[in-house]
Amino acid sequence: MKGLLTVTAFILFTEGRGFIYWLEKHLWACPFKNLTGIDCPGCGLQRSFVALLKGDVLVSIKLYPPTLVLLALVLFTLMHLKFEFKSGALIIKALYICATAIIIINYIYKVYYQQLF
Amino acid sequence: MSAEQVPNNSGSGQQANQPFNQTNQFQQQGAGFGFGGMQQALPNATAVLVLGILSIVTCCCFYGAISLVLAIIALVLAKKDKVLYFANTGFYTESSYKNLNAGRVCAIIGLVFGILIVIALIVFVSVFGFEMLSDQEALKEWVEQMQNQQI
Repeated sequence: MKGLLTVTAFILFTEGRGFIYWLEKHLWACPFKNLTGIDCPGCGLQRSFVALLKGDVLVSIKLYPPTLVLLALVLFTLMHLKFEFKSGALIIKALYICATAIIIINYIYKVYYQQLF
Repeated sequence: MSAEQVPNNSGSGQQANQPFNQTNQFQQQGAGFGFGGMQQALPNATAVLVLGILSIVTCCCFYGAISLVLAIIALVLAKKDKVLYFANTGFYTESSYKNLNAGRVCAIIGLVFGILIVIALIVFVSVFGFEMLSDQEALKEWVEQMQNQQI
């Protein structure tokens, strides 16, 4: 009964077109971009995530390269907290530094090639 | 809890000698079931790790402010737990200490990143000014002018 209610509410909520459609229509606007008109280092994350949910890995990487690394970081951290891998902390640190580096390089690239608008 | 309240035995094998002390200590804290020789996880290790990682995931929400707040909370918690760990080295598991350290490193990087974003925002606003920034076309013209000058 509870499951049926949830499914009904879900279908009503998403206008019967699925979760991804709903997500696509309800992305948060970036306040940084609203204020300055310039992309912030995190702009593109949500679009890229939606593309990933649709299965377009290439589009996702094109929109925002760090998404995959960030996702891997979050998933690995959850796994690590659950199963306690031996060198999990080290891998988390490495992934984190990787993600930060990719975000910064991505932003520098954007600034350099003027894709900010 | 301050460092003075913790019984100060820094050797790793010594906690078996005084189990009662520590039992009372940790029942008072409500931190769990510390009986003799049983190691337990640091109370805030998981929280610090999660907060540290969230600080980079949310790096650009709300001008980097959320990232800054999460990172600072993580650092404060990590400092508390570090005092706890070094006051009583053998009592806590080493894996939780490693988690704590990883979380601390993540939080520091997140903090630096958040500060960089805030600085970038200030620089953008001070260079262009609000009026120009709210006018997209003027901004694009300016960029084109800069390109022409370079050529």
